[in-house]
Amino acid sequence: MATRKLSELAGTIRSKNAGVNQITFDIIFNDRETYERVKRSRVFDPQRIAARFGIPPERISDCVEFDPANAIKFTIYRTRPSGSPGDWDILGCQQYGPLLDLEVPWD
Amino acid sequence: MTKECLRIMISTGHLGTAPSAPESFHRGMESGPDYLVADGGSSDPGPVYLGEDICMGHFAEEEVELFLTASRRRGVPLIIGSAGDTGSNSRVRLFVDMVRRIAEQHRLPRFKVGYFYSEVDPDYLHRKLRSGQRFAGLGGFPDLTAEEIDRATRIVAVAGVHPFVRLLDMGCDVIVGGRCGDICFTAAPCIRAGFPEALAYHMGKMIECASLVAEPFMGKETVIGEITREDIRIVPYHPDQRCTVASAAGHSMYERENPFYEHGLGGMLDMRDCRYEQATDRVCRITGARWVPAAQLRVKIEGARKVGERCMGVVGIRDPFVVRNVDRAIEWCRSSVAKRFGAVPYELYFHVFGRDAVLKELEPVKNASPHELGIVVEGVAPTGELAEKITDFAVRMFFLARIPGVKGTAGAAATTKKTMRSSPGYMWNVNHTVPIDDPMELFPLHTTEAGV
Repeated sequence: MATRKLSELAGTIRSKNAGVNQITFDIIFNDRETYERVKRSRVFDPQRIAARFGIPPERISDCVEFDPANAIKFTIYRTRPSGSPGDWDILGCQQYGPLLDLEVPWD
Repeated sequence: MTKECLRIMISTGHLGTAPSAPESFHRGMESGPDYLVADGGSSDPGPVYLGEDICMGHFAEEEVELFLTASRRRGVPLIIGSAGDTGSNSRVRLFVDMVRRIAEQHRLPRFKVGYFYSEVDPDYLHRKLRSGQRFAGLGGFPDLTAEEIDRATRIVAVAGVHPFVRLLDMGCDVIVGGRCGDICFTAAPCIRAGFPEALAYHMGKMIECASLVAEPFMGKETVIGEITREDIRIVPYHPDQRCTVASAAGHSMYERENPFYEHGLGGMLDMRDCRYEQATDRVCRITGARWVPAAQLRVKIEGARKVGERCMGVVGIRDPFVVRNVDRAIEWCRSSVAKRFGAVPYELYFHVFGRDAVLKELEPVKNASPHELGIVVEGVAPTGELAEKITDFAVRMFFLARIPGVKGTAGAAATTKKTMRSSPGYMWNVNHTVPIDDPMELFPLHTTEAGV
C-alpha cells in the first residue's frame, strides 16, 4: 500500500499546552481535499495515536475533526503538570516531533 | 448615540516577554482604536513564577512605557490583564507603581488608574470546603482537598469580564488586572458597549495572541479586532501579514483541549457553528458564535506548591560503549545516590538529550544510535545545600560509573562547570473550579491616580 509522510501533506503540525495538565496537537491542512483524504485514512483514531506515542488510550482526552480549519486535533494528559521537576517541555511545544514521519495510507 | 463598531488593538500575546514591534504598533495607534489591550500573563511559563511570586519577562517596563505613552497621547483607554505573568497581588502593585513612575517621567497629564486583586485567601476555600462544597479538578486533576490548599504557597482566581467592566464604569483610563481569562480584557469593553456577548468573547479569543492569528507566522505585531452587532473582523497591521480563513480558524483552536467550546467565568462560548470568510484579501470576517450563560457560576483557581530547592548538572558522553549502555550508567548513579542519601526526601531526574529528554515516555524512537549524549541531571531536595550535594554526587557518579567492559579507565563521562543552582522546584497543585454566587466576590477593586 502506498503511503505519504504527514509532513508532506499538512501545512501546520504543532503541539502546545492546553491548560497545565494537557498537551494538544493540531494538524492543519492547506486544502480540503487532502484533509478529507487524511480523515478517511483513520490514522488519527485514538487507538492509533496512542500506539504512535506508546501510551494507553485513556491518556487521550479528546480527538476531533475541525472542518472550519481543515484540521485534526487531539489532546493528551500529561503524567505530571507542566513545569514540574522532571519536565523538559514546559510549553508542550516540541511534542509533535513524532508526527512528521507518520505514514498516511495514500492509494 | 451608541457606536456601530468598536475597535480593540493588541500587539502582544504576553506582555514583557519581548518588546512589541514598534512599526505596526504605531500604525495601529494612528488608525485611532477605541481601546488598547494587552495580556500580561499565563500559566504557560510553569508554576515557579506564581509559587515564588516573581516575574518572568524582562521587557515589561519597556512595553508598558510604549503602551502608556501612546495611549495617553490619544486618550485611548489601556487594559492590561494578568499583570506580571501571574496576576498575583504583588505583581498588580508592581505594575500600578510602574504606571505611576512612567507617567511621572513622561509628565503625562493626570489620569485615573483602576486595578483589582485576584489572590484567594486559603481560609475562604477551607470555609467553603467545610460547608460541603466541592472543588472539581480541571484537566484530569482530582477534586481539591484541604491538604492541597494548605500546600499551595499562593492561589489566584481567574477573573471574567466583570471587574474590567466595573472599573471602566468608574471612569478608569488605565486598568491593571489581576489574574483573568485571556479573552476577558477584550470582551469587557465590547460587552459594556452593548455588543453581543458571543461575538465579544469570540473576538477576545481571536486576538488574545495578537499577530499569531494572522499569517505568515510573526509574533509581537499589532492586530485590531473590530466588532459590530453582526460580526467580528480581524485586521493585521504588519504590511506583510494577512488574516485568512485558515489562519483565523487555525488560531481559534490554539492552546485549547477542544476547538468547539471555551469555558469562562459566567458561561461557555460555543463555536460549533462559527463561519470564517475572507472579507478582503487581508481581513477575516467571523460570525456564528453562541454564548451560553452558566447555570451555576464557577471560578477557576490556580495554585502551586513547592517541591524543594533545585540544582542541575550537565554531563557529556562520547564513548560509544557508554552511550549504548547509558541506562546502566544512570542506574549506577541512582543506586549510589539512594545508598548515600536514602534517608532524606529527594527527587532525581536524568534528561538524556540525544535520546528522549524532550519526549520522555512519549518518544517512539527507541533505537537511536547517537555518537554522543548530553545528560542534564536535575536534583530537588529540602534545602539548597542538600540539592547541590545530591546533584553534584549524581554527576560525580556518572564519571565514576562502573560498567563492565568499558575501555576508558579515566572517567565515563565528560563534565564541566560547577553544578548549577536553578529555581526551586514547584508543581501546579491547584487547577480547579470553585462555585461562587457573585462574579466579583474574589476580585476587590481599587482606583488611584497617576501623572502630573
